[in-house]
Amino acid sequence: MQKKMMYSFPDDVLEHVFSFIQSDKDRNAVSAVCKLWYEIERWCRRKVFIGNCYAVSPRVVIKRFPEVRSIELKGKPHFADFNLVPDGWGGYVLPWIVEMAGAYPCLEEIRLKRMVVTDESLELIAKSFKNFKVLVLFSCEGFSTDGLAAIAAGCKNLRELDLRESEVDDLSGHWLTHFPETCTSLVSLNISCLGSDEVSFSALERLVGRCPNLKSLRLNRAVTLDKIANILRRAPQLVDFGTGNYASELPPDVLLNLAGAFSSCKELKSLSGFWDVVPAYLPALYSVCSRLTSLNLSYATIQNPEIIKLVSRCPSLQRLLVLDYIEDSGLEALASSCKDLQELRVFPSDPFGGEPHVSLTEQGLVTVSLGCPKLQSILYFCHRMTNAALVTIAQSCPNLTRFRLCIIEPKTADYLTLEPLDVGFGAIVEHCKDLRRLSLSGLLTDRVFEYIGTYAKKLEMLSVAFAGDSDLGLHHVLFGCESLRKLEIRDCPFGDKALLANAAKLETMRSLWMSSCTVSFGACKLLGQKMPRLNVEVIDETEPPDSRPESCPVEKFYIYRSVSGPRFDKPPFVWTMDEEGKIMH
Amino acid sequence: MPNMELQLGLALPTPNMIKGFDLNNHRLDHLKQRGCFSNKSKRSFEQAFGNFKQDGKTKTLLLWSGQPNEEEDHKDQKKTTFSTIDDSNDDEEVEQVVGWPPIKTWRKKIFNQPNGVGGIENNRVADKENGRSIYVKVKMEGVAITRKVDIRLYLSYQTLSNSLITMFSKDKKCGDDDSTRYILTYQDKEGDWLIAGDIPWQSFMRCVQRLKIIRNRD
Repeated sequence: MQKKMMYSFPDDVLEHVFSFIQSDKDRNAVSAVCKLWYEIERWCRRKVFIGNCYAVSPRVVIKRFPEVRSIELKGKPHFADFNLVPDGWGGYVLPWIVEMAGAYPCLEEIRLKRMVVTDESLELIAKSFKNFKVLVLFSCEGFSTDGLAAIAAGCKNLRELDLRESEVDDLSGHWLTHFPETCTSLVSLNISCLGSDEVSFSALERLVGRCPNLKSLRLNRAVTLDKIANILRRAPQLVDFGTGNYASELPPDVLLNLAGAFSSCKELKSLSGFWDVVPAYLPALYSVCSRLTSLNLSYATIQNPEIIKLVSRCPSLQRLLVLDYIEDSGLEALASSCKDLQELRVFPSDPFGGEPHVSLTEQGLVTVSLGCPKLQSILYFCHRMTNAALVTIAQSCPNLTRFRLCIIEPKTADYLTLEPLDVGFGAIVEHCKDLRRLSLSGLLTDRVFEYIGTYAKKLEMLSVAFAGDSDLGLHHVLFGCESLRKLEIRDCPFGDKALLANAAKLETMRSLWMSSCTVSFGACKLLGQKMPRLNVEVIDETEPPDSRPESCPVEKFYIYRSVSGPRFDKPPFVWTMDEEGKIMH
Repeated sequence: MPNMELQLGLALPTPNMIKGFDLNNHRLDHLKQRGCFSNKSKRSFEQAFGNFKQDGKTKTLLLWSGQPNEEEDHKDQKKTTFSTIDDSNDDEEVEQVVGWPPIKTWRKKIFNQPNGVGGIENNRVADKENGRSIYVKVKMEGVAITRKVDIRLYLSYQTLSNSLITMFSKDKKCGDDDSTRYILTYQDKEGDWLIAGDIPWQSFMRCVQRLKIIRNRD
């Protein structure tokens, strides 16, 4: 009996089989089977995700995957969101665009997060990729509306332009007029981050009117309420809508018109925006509420009872972003109305106020966890917490994959027992076996890290601040968390011991950020010397780190694995520890 | 409750008058630690590795006595106040600790961005500015509860401060000096904290966002 060997299949059969394999992890596994599979796979990989743009150089990527159509890149460390990374640190996309312009003429999609994008980069994109379809700039900066004009004018088949949370130099609202009249392909347009300056509204209206496939439209604050009805009537097929300004002094018939416009959007499932919302106009939304699966009120300074009135009308809600004006009473209403809730984010309305001025406590979160067992993702800012509350939450929501709790004042203990919150977070990691992301806060000792190292086997990202007692804490995490990819730590008493003892672990992770801890310059040097596949970057804005004794702690450092060695675009305040024990700059 | 004399001094503003509050700062601990390390880096790399072999048996490392470390910081550290008053000219809000709480910069701007479309701002609830109430929050240093006053009810700084004295004398902790002087400060539309009394009352009413009564440390 003749066995049919796998390698007797013609290449294109294998290629066809591989085309059903989409996930990067599976594709990587496929390419590791044998040389033949590696070769076939690399020629047919169309999508590449690079979690750290400095982990590999563009040339290396292009060499291995010559036929890529879609690329996703991430740049700065996460803590850059909170001003911990100085300006000019890096994350420039231009070198990538330059290389890809030559190598990937058929490139269709670019997705970037926390990268510096210049107008030059945008112009190059518009010029180089004839079939360009998707541009997502998430938390990016460095470009202006001039660059956007180039994209609008140059990308004839543009489907998606999403600028979420980016910082754009808003020179002129007229960039929208650069979309040619022939452009009818838009499916998604998110300009919510643009400034309060004028946007060319007539151009926007015309654009919306001629794009029949437009499913997602998020406007910016400059678009006033009276304009929304017209927009909605031109795009009744919208699934996701972000309003602009939601305040005005509209005569009553305009309000009715607005309500009518909303109700004509039968597919509408997701709403956001609502800057400066005046409660009187919220009833215009009521017809849509029963279908809503996602609601973002996190810019809306409405209070109760308006929030409760709105939320109670949304039984299909799966995702809610809201300010702490919702208070415990609003969360109670949420818990009883929205049984399908999967994601909840509660942001502080007055983060620097010191004393709480709204009645939002741990009780609100407990109530939601009891009422909404499908919860998977929680982000919660509050002023107090107890271990008992955390235990209840953990037991009620075993499906949690993301849990981020921020008790606003660092090192806050359980307010009832005055104990650390170790046991509470321990319960979270013990019960929520699929937990992938965790952010800690409150008073925490090394014990919480012991729990995390013991139970959090699927944890991929951990954020720690003002916690722990000793190196043992860090050691528990590095030693025990098998799936850990990203670790960011600030203001913790973690030093050299745990870091050096677990140096090998760092090569299995994407990155480690530590700031205001007690890791010495000597340890950084040692790591840089002994671990050639790690880039050890010390950030020091005042003076070269070797101008002080080696035992001195470094203020900030960032370690990441890389196959392409130290980067060449470092600013003066970033110092690389290289193989000869020298610091490079 | 002892009858305390609270005098809200509407002093003339001088630069730097509101600076230098003794708010505990985590950063100071780290500055103290600089240069106080024993020279551990002489230990070799192999030695460092050898101590923690990855053989799965981690019992020795997990021997935790259950007692907190002696050098536990948090026991000694006083509760840090995170409300700040600063008369600097920073455009952004002053934070006591950089990057904490972890909120993206643009989220903070949601409340500070002035907009002319008559929205509801964080600290100032105005229905319509033609005769209805203008409630402004008032916080007194050392008092947990924040109160609200309707600015429109007052005709002058004097009537406002009289009313505030009455309001807060119920809350004042015992133990404070009878003759403690207080200063009334306010936050204007740009987010700056200033001493009340230097601009005409009408202008003050239009721009005040928040009030805070602070102890005069002079």
